[in-house]
Amino acid sequence: MVSGAPLLSLTGVGKEFPNGTVALKDARLTVQAGSVHGLVGANGAGKSTMIKVIAGAHAPTSGVVRWKGEEVVWRTPGAARKAGVATIMQHVPLAPTLTVLENVFLGASGPWRMPRSRRAEFARLLERVGYAIDPDAEVAGLAIGERQMVAILQALATGAELVVMDEPTASLAEGERQVVFDVVRRLSAQGTAFLYVSHFLDEVLSLTDHVTVLRDGTVVEEGGTSGYDEDRLVQVIVGRELLEVERRSAEPVPADAPVLLKVSGLGSPSGVREVSFEARAGEVIGLAGLLGSGRSEILHAVYGADPRATGEVLVEGRPVGRGPRAAVAAGMALVPEDRGAQGLVGTFPIWKNVSLPHLPSLSARRSLPREPAERERAERAIADLGIVCPGPDALPGELSGGNAQKVVFGKWLYGGARVFMLDEPTAGVDVGAKADILELVRRFAADGGTVLVVSSEFEEILAVATRVLVVREGRVVAERAAHETSEEELLMLANGFGEGGAQHHAA
Amino acid sequence: MPPEKATAPAPSGARSRLAAALRPGNAGVVYALLLIVAVLTLLSAQLGRPPYLSATNVINILDQSSLIAILAVFTTVVLISGNFDLSVASVAAFSAATVLSLVAPLGLPLAMAIALGAGLVCGAVNGLIVQLVGINAFIVTLGTMTAVRGLVLILTDGRTITAEDPAAQSSLIALQAGYWTVPHVLAVLGVAAVAAGVLVLLRRSRRAGIAIVVAGLVAVALSPVLGFELRLSKPTYYLIVIAGLTWAVLRYTVIGRRLYAVGANAEAARLSGINVSRYKIGAFVLNGLGSGFVGILFAAKLLAINPTGLQGTELTVLAAAILGGTSLFGGLGSVLKSVVGALILFTLDNGFNVLNLGANYQGVIVGTVVVVAAAIYTVAGRQRQVKRVRESTKPQAPVRQEALR
Repeated sequence: MVSGAPLLSLTGVGKEFPNGTVALKDARLTVQAGSVHGLVGANGAGKSTMIKVIAGAHAPTSGVVRWKGEEVVWRTPGAARKAGVATIMQHVPLAPTLTVLENVFLGASGPWRMPRSRRAEFARLLERVGYAIDPDAEVAGLAIGERQMVAILQALATGAELVVMDEPTASLAEGERQVVFDVVRRLSAQGTAFLYVSHFLDEVLSLTDHVTVLRDGTVVEEGGTSGYDEDRLVQVIVGRELLEVERRSAEPVPADAPVLLKVSGLGSPSGVREVSFEARAGEVIGLAGLLGSGRSEILHAVYGADPRATGEVLVEGRPVGRGPRAAVAAGMALVPEDRGAQGLVGTFPIWKNVSLPHLPSLSARRSLPREPAERERAERAIADLGIVCPGPDALPGELSGGNAQKVVFGKWLYGGARVFMLDEPTAGVDVGAKADILELVRRFAADGGTVLVVSSEFEEILAVATRVLVVREGRVVAERAAHETSEEELLMLANGFGEGGAQHHAA
Repeated sequence: MPPEKATAPAPSGARSRLAAALRPGNAGVVYALLLIVAVLTLLSAQLGRPPYLSATNVINILDQSSLIAILAVFTTVVLISGNFDLSVASVAAFSAATVLSLVAPLGLPLAMAIALGAGLVCGAVNGLIVQLVGINAFIVTLGTMTAVRGLVLILTDGRTITAEDPAAQSSLIALQAGYWTVPHVLAVLGVAAVAAGVLVLLRRSRRAGIAIVVAGLVAVALSPVLGFELRLSKPTYYLIVIAGLTWAVLRYTVIGRRLYAVGANAEAARLSGINVSRYKIGAFVLNGLGSGFVGILFAAKLLAINPTGLQGTELTVLAAAILGGTSLFGGLGSVLKSVVGALILFTLDNGFNVLNLGANYQGVIVGTVVVVAAAIYTVAGRQRQVKRVRESTKPQAPVRQEALR
């Protein structure tokens, strides 16, 4: 180790993906031994890419990574782990059928499955962490918070000097969060460094001592956490100027516009509680909430995709039966969050995907699909949406993220759908396509439809929405007209600060 | 993707679609069959055996493979829906035992109806447990395979059941024995082609329609010169009708399209408003019904069933589907190719007999063929993906369109 050098430093690191997306450009990061370093930024700011570069999952296309002052190139996660960097991903990859002990020492070498010395080592580890857990418990039976702890123990067992945590508390209850915080504080006092990535700014402020803010793939600010408060951090994350194209203050629709969608008393075991709202023709309603706030669950419950959902959904005054079939028949459309797993059939060319929801209407006697009509519709979608592709015969896997997303939109464009529900419509989409998609959302509304948009990018919600519902813990905690609110206010509300939310957070 | 597909902008390019269908990646199983037949023909000529490609032998192979091929058709439907069914052979045996024990007292139609109903119930049980309880289809059908085999044992009391009543026997024999002859096949096919060509001409593309009509007229014109009649066993006709119908439903109807969608991505299909459970359970029910039907044909063929009859056939059926390129993960497959897969298995089988090679080598060869086929499909699929990734990394035109404004 070069004396005086930071534990980890990144200088001028850039990452460009083969499809041309620039995820990081000229990014820097300096983590000192024993510090807790916060990494914050909006979705798509490049946090994940940076973590992946550090973890050795992505090789940077430019720049230098130094570990203890020496230049390193980690080509595999194993190499990074060996050097002393352990990464704990949001969805903890543990072997559920093995015990806690076995999971913690999963990476350990040696011929025997469970040498006796392991138990002693495990006990020492627990003492160091100040946490108690049964080594013989099966991981499958543990709560999520306990699994998180197992992952931390696993990281420590490999001798990690830097632990990277990606949204570690997103799915944890309040008590479990405190446990994680305590452990992080305790270990950092012992000299282990943490890189803490979170959307929850209150956590970042209370836990970290340094913070780096990413925006659009570059570091916009870094410094001691003590120099920041919630407001300032939000401002830095958001940036002062919004993109010209995207920012277009949407006027509220006239009060006499017909109510297209009425939701009352919606609830679900998946985490939706007593959600009621109305949406008029021409309205774009943004559902603003943090990851895990229940915003996607609300969309699924409204659409009927969540079979356990209860409550009433009316479209144009008529109650909609439960289930996606009834929803589609009633004129609802869902653009799901994960287009690969939920939106598109990978083995179908574009034209079959586009015609799928409304196939009978393109079929002779509603039962024999008319291929020319289907192709015509696909070609129309390709032209209208500007889908860049070799032709309607292309498979979704051949398209870039933005173009694949447009195909999902194309599924609902011509079938008479009037209530559009869009779950993170611009996730993983490049800037150009993002503007197109936002334009499309506006067009849905302008044509007399109603749009519900879920997005973790509040900037984007403000750009398209006429009205914003702030979602926290499965409830709508606040409602704002889009032209009367700001990104800062939304972020505060979503974090549980401000009116109504504060008591909630304390509870 | 090969260039012809990328450069052909016309969506109605019937030619390029035909070319795509004939590509080894798509029609490999047909070429494999042709290759095997060619090798066997040459070998049998070389070794001085009776000619391999004689009409009698071909008719024989078709007859022998028809029952397995029918099972393979329905199993392919289940596989396309994204499930798996191991219970087909047990269900067929159960149906055979049912029909044999009921044909004398109840008469054939009623006995057949009950046997088909038994198959249907088995399929429905499979489907309901898999879809509504959510247990893996492999486990469920492994269970029903064993349980239904147990039912066969109970029904037969461990003994071979035979149809002894002469009236029952003759009605069963009439069901499957013997041959139907279609005279002037060329004329019949020609007329059919003319009709189809006129349809295509009116509905889709003029050029392709005219070509089909002309081909049909030529066939009709040649018919008196060439004669040529088609003489096939009854089960072969059953197979042709069943495979043709199933293929047409899968290829041309909303039901078929949705079945593929459900198998390839059930969640995307569900969110598109498709009743996924209905399709998945439906595939199982159809498979049960098909197994019941095959069981009846099997009973009619042997006029007897022993408690272990058809044991192991489920694996032959799956092998046929895999040879046909059906994906075990759902959403991909063609019933016609599965039929060709079954033909390959029986061609090999028959070839060993004709060449008098002895059955000892057969298992090794058939097993190798299945694995090699699966390997080819997997590697070919992977290569296609690699190509696609390479293509998609090409720089794209900037995404700014006027159409939206």
